[in-house]
Amino acid sequence: MILTSSTAPSLMSEPLEDYLETIYLLVQEHGFARVKDIAKARDVKAATVSIALRKLDEARLVNYVRREYIGLTTKGEEAARRILTRHRLLTRFFEEVLGMPAHAAGEQACAMEHVLTDEAMDRMVRFFEFLGTCPSVLKAFGQCPVGARPGDEHSCGAYSPECARCSLNPKESSMSIASMKPGQSAIVTQITATGALRQRLLDMGILPETAIDVERSGPGGHPLWIRCQGARLALRRAEASNILVRRPA
Amino acid sequence: MRLTSIAPTTTVSPATKPRRLRVALAGNPNCGKTSLFNALTGARQHVANYPGVTVEKRTGTFEIDGEPTDVVDLPGTYGLSAFSPEERVAEEELASGPDVVVVVADSMQLQRNLVLLAQVLIAGANPVLCLNMADEARAAGQKLDLPMMEKLLGIPVVETVASRGQGLPELLAAVRRAAAAPLARHRVVLGEQLDGALAAIAARLPPGPRSGLSREWNALRLLLDDAAVVARLRALPTGEEAITEARRQRMRLETEAGRPVSVFVAERTFGFVDGFLRETRTPPPRIDTRVLSDRLDDVIAHRYLGLPIFGAVLYAIFWLTFTVGEAPMGWIETGIGWLGALVTGFWPHGSDSLLRSLLVDGVIAGVGGVLIFLPNILLLFLGLALLEDSGYMARAAFLTDRVMHRFGLHGKSFLPMMTGFGCSVPGILATRTLENERDRLTTMLVLPLMSCGARLPIWMLLVPAFFPPAWRAPALWIIYAAGVALALLLALLLRRTLLRGEDAPFVMELPPYRMPTLRSVLLKMLDRARLYLSKAGTVILGISILLWAATSSPKPSSYRIDSRVAAGEAVAAADLAAARTAEELEFSVAGRAGRFLEPAFAPLGYDWKMVTAMIGAFAAKEVFVAQMGIVYSIADPEEGTEGLRARIARDYPPLVGVSLILFLLISAPCMATIAVTRRESGRWRWALLQLFGLTGIAWLVSFVVYQVGRLFT
Ligand SMILES: Nc1nc2c(ncn2[C@@H]2O[C@H](COP(=O)(O)OP(=O)(O)O)[C@@H](O)[C@H]2O)c(=O)[nH]1
Repeated sequence: MILTSSTAPSLMSEPLEDYLETIYLLVQEHGFARVKDIAKARDVKAATVSIALRKLDEARLVNYVRREYIGLTTKGEEAARRILTRHRLLTRFFEEVLGMPAHAAGEQACAMEHVLTDEAMDRMVRFFEFLGTCPSVLKAFGQCPVGARPGDEHSCGAYSPECARCSLNPKESSMSIASMKPGQSAIVTQITATGALRQRLLDMGILPETAIDVERSGPGGHPLWIRCQGARLALRRAEASNILVRRPA
Repeated sequence: MRLTSIAPTTTVSPATKPRRLRVALAGNPNCGKTSLFNALTGARQHVANYPGVTVEKRTGTFEIDGEPTDVVDLPGTYGLSAFSPEERVAEEELASGPDVVVVVADSMQLQRNLVLLAQVLIAGANPVLCLNMADEARAAGQKLDLPMMEKLLGIPVVETVASRGQGLPELLAAVRRAAAAPLARHRVVLGEQLDGALAAIAARLPPGPRSGLSREWNALRLLLDDAAVVARLRALPTGEEAITEARRQRMRLETEAGRPVSVFVAERTFGFVDGFLRETRTPPPRIDTRVLSDRLDDVIAHRYLGLPIFGAVLYAIFWLTFTVGEAPMGWIETGIGWLGALVTGFWPHGSDSLLRSLLVDGVIAGVGGVLIFLPNILLLFLGLALLEDSGYMARAAFLTDRVMHRFGLHGKSFLPMMTGFGCSVPGILATRTLENERDRLTTMLVLPLMSCGARLPIWMLLVPAFFPPAWRAPALWIIYAAGVALALLLALLLRRTLLRGEDAPFVMELPPYRMPTLRSVLLKMLDRARLYLSKAGTVILGISILLWAATSSPKPSSYRIDSRVAAGEAVAAADLAAARTAEELEFSVAGRAGRFLEPAFAPLGYDWKMVTAMIGAFAAKEVFVAQMGIVYSIADPEEGTEGLRARIARDYPPLVGVSLILFLLISAPCMATIAVTRRESGRWRWALLQLFGLTGIAWLVSFVVYQVGRLFT
């Protein structure tokens, strides 16, 4: 998608920006760029390169050192550097913040760098800097179910009362059945376990709003022996502390 | 891969022969599924492991109106969420597309049991609902409206009493009905929100994967973020789209419902079951909720009384296994001896035939080595079946879990480990009662460290040889305690390294006490025996013959003792024969191996004689004594124990004795143990790890003890 309309962020079309970028990199490396090197790097015919070069020359971005040997004007160098900075920044954004694989991040950056306006880019740079100064935000994003990738453990260690997700698992000052004594009864409010344990408890019928009676405990106080939905179940302390309850008043 | 053995006939001529019907049994643990399977198939069943896991796969056949039908017993699970190997196996088996799935439910626990039915329905299988334990439900006064159930679900519903084989004809008819024409099954309604979400995900699922399961089911797994399903979809071109949709739906549902999606799904599923039961069940009048079972538990599962009672029960089981088992073991020994003598009799007296030696010392002795454990195994499994069927096993696990858990084991590991004091073979077979794979493997691998009965003769030989009388009893106690301590430490180590991983959730159901039925107990007992004979037996026999070959060939062409006699030395006839046998052993492969391995064991203080005897001990631990007798050319080691003991005490310092005892305690379990571990773990890998791991540890411990000991003596 080549954007040349008025919403286009810069004076150039996408291929021209890419040419400028290529020339910049070649100049950095060799001190000059040749048509055939550019053609090779961009995988196009030399004739195509010549057309592009003519346009860049018209915009006074490049100059010919000698025949075939091309350098950048001050304006050209500045423009190229800006493009490259964007590219690197976007790559890092996709890779480090959004957690995409490196090659995919590079491709995304290539596609996106041409369409961002300077203002959008500036805001993004600032946001990125903010993430750098406050790394816990980035970490929380990776661990929160919202940001985690499938298969990752879905629990962020942090708890924030304003967080919409955290409020699904309120750490209200309720007690777990691990602290109940034989003979006591309670109503399940919440299951804080994750993964296999949560599924197992659910499959056994330990759901919010079901009643649990603690009937007895093993030698030394554990495991706990509870009754739930008519079944007798034994649970270790570790499992029991994942079942939060409220005692009927 | 998952097709049963009849697969070839079905694929060869699908046009002419109708495919054999395939039925799967699904159900919660303790619902009576095994009883039903046994009642259906009788002896026509086959037990194996699913590839790569310790989950048992039971298949069998039965007849419906004379037509053979294949049946597979899925592992007992509470759900199909694929978190445990059992659940994964069950789901895969459903995906393989059985014609009919009989969902067995405990009529007294319908709420929870029917959740599995709901899942099977969603998965798109063709179920029949089998309400088992109908006798208990009737006795409690619960009434079920079966026609209404059939109407609401659109599937056949029958009542059975599996333990007494009641209701089987009706069940068979129902299976036939379901197989002939899959009825107009009704959808499981989980509420607008959830159904909508599932439909949206299902619409984006690419066709293809797990086609045996419904799209709705795959959508549900995806909604619940099942890592395996996600990974499988990733590999497909448009899979990412479905994954993204599932994420969107999950976020939406969680935000709307205000709780994690798995909780929401479970609530909906239980809600479906509740609604269904409200219309079809008249619950029992609540006269006394504390039934007899609870009053029994007040004593049996009591905080303080529970453990002593368990101790008594253990004692009874061991008494049954080892004391009652002694007599038949004696008969088997006599029988084998008689058979050996009979075969020997075919050859002229004193002749030296290789074939005779192979038959008598190799094959017959090998068969004897297999059969000798049979009484123990039968009796132990009689005891275990009683404990399991009565419901006591779960109580025992409840009582011992706290201690065992400290060492990364499970309450149910306790009994197999105690059995190991008698013999490792039945002990390892008893690990079947452990449901979790890691728990089972850990228990199995460390179990040989419990000093078994066959090692007692060794201690009887060595302890008096090396320790003064006052020290003998404590020494014996220390040997046993060292074994236990090492087993527990090793279990802990295994759980931290090779078998690392979160503990399987310990959420154990305690079924009510039930009177075990003779039929079920006998079936379980014979089942184990058959498995032992067919699988472990063949390996044991093979190794016996190999060991026979190694200890009896090649034969020397001349004997040193003969030349000494020829030189005029006076030797008694018995001593002459004994000396010849000793020379033969020295000359044999085992003797040479002993010499060859001597340098490896020199740092432990052993000479080639001990090493040779240890090679023999691999056949069976107690053989060590006999082999030591042979290398010391003591004619009859039983009678000559005193002489042998004196020779050993003279030849080796006590430090070597300690090192030797430790090595024999820890090292290479006998071949029967290895064979059974192979059979029970399903892989040679674990058996070999046990063999080489334990031997390596034995070497290290003995090495350290010997070398450190030498600094002080
Ligand atoms: N009263 C009664 N007991 C049963 C019935 N079916 C099985 N049992 C008993 O329930 C216990 C558990 O049965 P089992 O088949 O081992 O259950 P599984 O765990 O589902 O395989 C055993 O003691 C059986 O004898 C039944 O229909 N009625």
